[in-house]
Amino acid sequence: MKEGGKLSLFREWQLAVPLALAFAALFLAPLLLLVGVSFYNDEKITQPGFASWLKFYGDPFNYKVIGDTLLLGAKTVCTTVLIGYPLALVYLDLSARLQKVLLFVIVMPLLLSVVVRTFAWIVVLGREGVVNSVLMGLGVISEPLKLLQTELGLVISLTQIEMPLMLLPLISVMSRLDPNLRDASAALGASRWRTLFTVIVPLSMPGLIAGCLLVFASSTTAFISQTVIGGVRLIYLPLVIWQQSLVVYHWPLAAVASLSLVVSVLSVVAALSWAGRRSGGYVNG
Amino acid sequence: MFTRRSLLAGATALGGASLLPGLAHAKGSLIATTYPGSWEDAYRAIVAPMLKKQADIDLELAPLFAMDQIGKVKAARGAPPFDAFLLDPGPRIVAIEGGLFEKFDPKKLTNLPKIPEGFADEHGVCVSAQVVGIAYNPKKLPAPKGWTDLLKDPWVSRLGLTGFQTTFGTSSIIEIGKQFGGTLTNPEPALVELNKVLPKVAAVGLPAAMPGLFQQGQCDVMFTNTQTVATLKGKGVDIEFVKPESGAIAFYTTMHIAKGTAEAENAYKYFDLVIGKEVQTALTPAPYNFLPVNKDVPLTPDMPMKSLDEMAKYINHDWAQINPLRAGWIEKFNKEMAK
Repeated sequence: MKEGGKLSLFREWQLAVPLALAFAALFLAPLLLLVGVSFYNDEKITQPGFASWLKFYGDPFNYKVIGDTLLLGAKTVCTTVLIGYPLALVYLDLSARLQKVLLFVIVMPLLLSVVVRTFAWIVVLGREGVVNSVLMGLGVISEPLKLLQTELGLVISLTQIEMPLMLLPLISVMSRLDPNLRDASAALGASRWRTLFTVIVPLSMPGLIAGCLLVFASSTTAFISQTVIGGVRLIYLPLVIWQQSLVVYHWPLAAVASLSLVVSVLSVVAALSWAGRRSGGYVNG
Repeated sequence: MFTRRSLLAGATALGGASLLPGLAHAKGSLIATTYPGSWEDAYRAIVAPMLKKQADIDLELAPLFAMDQIGKVKAARGAPPFDAFLLDPGPRIVAIEGGLFEKFDPKKLTNLPKIPEGFADEHGVCVSAQVVGIAYNPKKLPAPKGWTDLLKDPWVSRLGLTGFQTTFGTSSIIEIGKQFGGTLTNPEPALVELNKVLPKVAAVGLPAAMPGLFQQGQCDVMFTNTQTVATLKGKGVDIEFVKPESGAIAFYTTMHIAKGTAEAENAYKYFDLVIGKEVQTALTPAPYNFLPVNKDVPLTPDMPMKSLDEMAKYINHDWAQINPLRAGWIEKFNKEMAK
């Protein structure tokens, strides 16, 4: 029996081999290549050295770019949580039929190409777009508001574009909450707000953390949305990577910028995951 | 072993050949780059069907700006993702220095006698010329006279800017700089002047986004080429082209065979067709307005010049001097324009 168990374990391990090979070939190898290329000084990748790292981190402008990129992710996470969490609560109280309708509405943006979604936002936020036309029609403003090519406009559009990534894990976790817990909290005299903050929020924390993680990683790397809606005056790391790799052809610098993006985003993701594990332990323990 | 071409052929076969048996009998295929926007529209509508009809070659168009083409071929390292380049002078020099072209034999072009002498060499063939100047919306703004007007009211608050990523962007910023004491190799005065009016500027975007921003009314004046103006006009956009007082910029656009391609012969047939009378005649009138290189095809009255002989009167930039400096300019542009 014991040998049979070992054999079975070995066979199960074999099942993971194709995925492991694909992971090694398509992710690990290119990542190592990226690290290798970053340690060259020149555009032609002939002189090994640290010059590209020193050049990138010797320029204070690049610190601002990294900071702005992370800040954009943080702002998008905050707005998706502020709008998405109440929506998830509404979802819980809907009938099964309406839940299906809402779920379809939530998933719908994922069915559209990111390019289409992004250009649609130009039509909405533009000088002669829907928002300005409505506000001017109502007499609220006399001059069109500048929404495109601003961080505000970019965060608004990213909030809509990334919303499914927040809502899907959140709804998935919140749907599994025992409805009796809310009744028990109310029966013990807790107000709705107290029930929300002491029962529902802690129990939904794993879904919330997963949503934050996905939204953060996706919004900090959203090159098309950042450049088309934000314009090129808002400089984030994906724009720098594109310029260095496809305009200037300085691949070692592009590799340094790429690794900086990977490391900075992964640091935040790791912190969120750690927070997620802590909250999971709290909820379960 | 799967190759790019076998995968493409497989996808084509799966996607359409079973429904359209005629496709399966094509003599071959060719993947050629084209610029996004006006070039892509024109080549899809005119050139691809003609190549299919006359040479039985399926033309797959990959819309990419010149610098992007170079980047992708360099990254592919000997296995080019397309067979033929479409380039402006600056990227052309970069590609020659990088050894990215197959040696070109102009004698293989049956239409060679129909193009001016020197328009084909060992690197490729010239297929059109571009003229860069100022485009504006005549319903919203008076016509600007020159580059300096762009930095004054009422134009500056409706100005759409793009940086050094493209030939037309680089050329235009150099010319703005010259009006303030700059030179071909020093566009710094342009950045200084732009910085002064930056809060007023309507949009600073990627080159590919500019026609869309103009169409949506986000900006009403920008620097661009005559083809983009013609295409937008064809779509009903209120847009007119102005040659700046100090002169418009002109440069030739060339086609080249990518090093390592297996479709060199089809590329020759494609280039021959493009410089032939039929294609050049079709691409010359509105909404395309491509400047023809075929001597048998007259320029239309609404074109910025009467014949290609006038190219010498336009501003021509020496890209061998510009290319080594461009990376520094891009960094500088980022820093000056950043919010």
